Amino acid sequence: MTDLLAFDTGLLKAMLARALRRGGDFAEIYIEDRESLGLRLEDGRIEQTSGGRELGAAVRLLSGEHTFYAYSDAVDEAGLTAAADAVAAAVSAGAPSAGVVDLGAVRADAGRNPVLMPPSEVAITRKADLVRAGDEAARAVGAEIVQATVGYGDTRQRVLIVNSLGDAVFDDRTRTRFIAQVVARRGEVIQTGHETVGGSAGFELLDEATARGVAETAAEKARVMLDAKPAPVGAMPVVLANGFGGTLFHEACGHGLEADAIAKGASIYAGKLGEMVAAPIVSAYDDGSLPNGWGSQAFDDEGVPTQKTLVIEEGRLTGYLYDRLRAREAGAQPTGNGRRQSFRHVPIPRMTTTYIAPGDADPADVIASTPKGFYARSLAGGQVEPASGNFVFGVAEGYLIEDGRVTAPLRGATLVGNGIDILMKIDLIAGDFDVKTGVCGKDGQGVPVGTGQATLRIAEMTVGGTG
Amino acid sequence: MFDVLDAILERATAAGARDVEAYAESSTSHRIKVYRQEVEQLTAAQRRGVGVRVFRDGAVGHAYTSDLSDDALDAVVRRALDHAAVSDPDESAVLPAPGREPADVRPFDPRLPAATDEQRIAVALEAEATALAADPRVKTVEDAMYVDGDGEVFIASTAGVRGSYRAGQCYAFAYVLAEQEGQVETGYSYSVGRALQELDPAFVGGEAAGRACRLLGARKCPSMKAPVVLDPFVSASFFGVLSSALTADAVQKGRSLFAGREGELVAGELLDLLDDGTLPDGLDSAPFDGEGIPCGRTPLIGGGVLQGFLYDTYTARKAGRASTGNGLRSGYSGLPGVRPTNLVVAGPATPLPEIVAGIGRGVLVTDAVGVHSGANPVSGEFSVGISGVLIEDGEFTTPVREVTLAGDIIGMLKGITALGDDARWVPSGSILTPSVVIDGMAIGGT
Repeated sequence: MTDLLAFDTGLLKAMLARALRRGGDFAEIYIEDRESLGLRLEDGRIEQTSGGRELGAAVRLLSGEHTFYAYSDAVDEAGLTAAADAVAAAVSAGAPSAGVVDLGAVRADAGRNPVLMPPSEVAITRKADLVRAGDEAARAVGAEIVQATVGYGDTRQRVLIVNSLGDAVFDDRTRTRFIAQVVARRGEVIQTGHETVGGSAGFELLDEATARGVAETAAEKARVMLDAKPAPVGAMPVVLANGFGGTLFHEACGHGLEADAIAKGASIYAGKLGEMVAAPIVSAYDDGSLPNGWGSQAFDDEGVPTQKTLVIEEGRLTGYLYDRLRAREAGAQPTGNGRRQSFRHVPIPRMTTTYIAPGDADPADVIASTPKGFYARSLAGGQVEPASGNFVFGVAEGYLIEDGRVTAPLRGATLVGNGIDILMKIDLIAGDFDVKTGVCGKDGQGVPVGTGQATLRIAEMTVGGTG
Repeated sequence: MFDVLDAILERATAAGARDVEAYAESSTSHRIKVYRQEVEQLTAAQRRGVGVRVFRDGAVGHAYTSDLSDDALDAVVRRALDHAAVSDPDESAVLPAPGREPADVRPFDPRLPAATDEQRIAVALEAEATALAADPRVKTVEDAMYVDGDGEVFIASTAGVRGSYRAGQCYAFAYVLAEQEGQVETGYSYSVGRALQELDPAFVGGEAAGRACRLLGARKCPSMKAPVVLDPFVSASFFGVLSSALTADAVQKGRSLFAGREGELVAGELLDLLDDGTLPDGLDSAPFDGEGIPCGRTPLIGGGVLQGFLYDTYTARKAGRASTGNGLRSGYSGLPGVRPTNLVVAGPATPLPEIVAGIGRGVLVTDAVGVHSGANPVSGEFSVGISGVLIEDGEFTTPVREVTLAGDIIGMLKGITALGDDARWVPSGSILTPSVVIDGMAIGGT
């Protein structure tokens, strides 16, 4: 059972019919074969290297707005039968039952995120060399670097998705990522820095220079913050740097555009299509088709091709992010945003790579035109309540802006605000667009996402600090 | 499952490995979400798989598989050996040896798997219905859930470790949105148990609704330095983040602000903090940890003084002492890592009304966002967004939101002046904590 493409489609069709036999209007089988490898270096040594293979299958049955889901690690006729029977038993008797359309030829789109060097064909020792090079580069930044955690990871996930509409999709996804987390210490002061690179791509993404660069950047961030003073408290102009700054848009706005939050009225963006939700200079996208992007794949986890979706056009709300279920309820088209962490998770609307489109200001001018403010160079992550739009972000690397210049590093700062309010106050966007990689958590599921933006300024925002 | 473990030990030994450990898991789980009194999502799951660790001259390799066929077992052994070949050796990395008797814990109630889907659905429905009926300002119950897990774990090694146990737990959860004059506030609550019969869904719905409604009308308050009362949910999230700094792993790698402070006063003198994997009602209790070492009771802070840290086999050997039974795994695919089992925040309790009556001006904190991103367990600094209720002249007055709470962890711990009499289990991380009163916190508002 290694080749998903060799799966007997007759058996799969029979299992879809079995799931639908007591009622339901849509059935789907998701079969996944995932191989992963992770290397982690800490304290100068590569620790317990780990990796493996997980195989599993899930059967999903929709009946109106109800979802029934069963999964098993057994990807054989017995496992599929048990899962199909479990969902069939759960559906209320007498619900209308849809038929199963004959499965078409299995579709695949291998050209979307080309893999030049499959990680499985690269010796594990070369991967180990990269993390060792990263460790060396981080420590070379200075005697104040006391700890470096350097990680390498690759996964190959192959999925076969069939449904009662007759869709049959195969997607072969390779992801590669390199991460550095560095600790600097001077006396009692300890600071950390983080940097990462990753993509839906193979080992060609990384070489020794890239690995060293990632580790050095993380080490520099940690070292600079040793001199940080406590951040001030209060409302002030905030400049968000390119790349990591995009997490703010992801959290403060993106989650509110996911169609499950919209359907439940649990989003400040519900019912606001066509309305102004941001300053007129703001346009934003979710793009699951960005070539080789960390958040990209050819198809989503419901077999829908990924796409570039305009969500905000010149300040106006133009669209939401749909999976099949929510698109069906809303009478909309799925947008390729139905994603799941694995066969153990129900697909839900999720972002892919979400970003504010670049503007034409010069990044240096954004700072120079700010007499006094806060410069957030990198964010530590944050949380948002989609229902109210309220969010809070930790700032990993922040600075004071004085007389149009970046001056003292500041520590312990958070950014607090409300999604729409903040987007309305964006008054400058530069052209230095960049995307960073992350893993987004929602409903207990983590999926790879990209967040991006150019350097931009928010005219006023609350900074919470200790100074 | 022991036959699978034995087959793995045999194959790895045949391939030249001397020290091998295999860990397997077989579990079932249910997750039911209701919305507007109908089942929105029902998930039934089967999960099983095996993980293998090989130790070769101090170099460790780990591999896992969900496929238990002969070929897959060969592959997983081969992978583990390949992985050991690139790991760096460390003399402290050794196969855990069988130790004392497993702890006398039976974390399983046969009523859990005996429940029917109808009973499980009824729990979630009752939580939602109670929340909706609790207050006209409740707009919707975004999540009303019943979740359970029932699993067996098995471990065997060439050092003679051999054991298994079955553990089960379930919880009811509600997340409520309340609305008034266009302002939306949220509230949540849990009830946890080893069997569905132990859950109190009506309490969950009522409490979640009350917590959301209580915040309606909230606005910023002025910035101040004042005492705060962290309710048990907020306290649990703080102690959850803090606990990572109390592991020997963080200490040995220079990632803990508690390193080298054993015997020092690090918290208010009334505070006790301990890890206890043997408590009958602790959700993370078990006879042994992910390395087969018996779970135990480990004092971390006693009378405000730092007592010690949590250890697995590797960190214990490095420190020249014994594991505390805190080498925990997240499933068959995870490696053991040093983590708390059940954390208990304890000390002399004061009735909550008495605490509030004694505060001239302060804030009861009922929600904190950004604790995981805004609190840095390495530097000890934190700054989080909070919601809650203002306390003035010993009484609750207006609700507050969009304000920040900032400080450093040691300063905060030392500022703890009282503990409430309302201790309860909070499931994210399994923490038993009352409300905690802290003096002199920096609140950033208008």
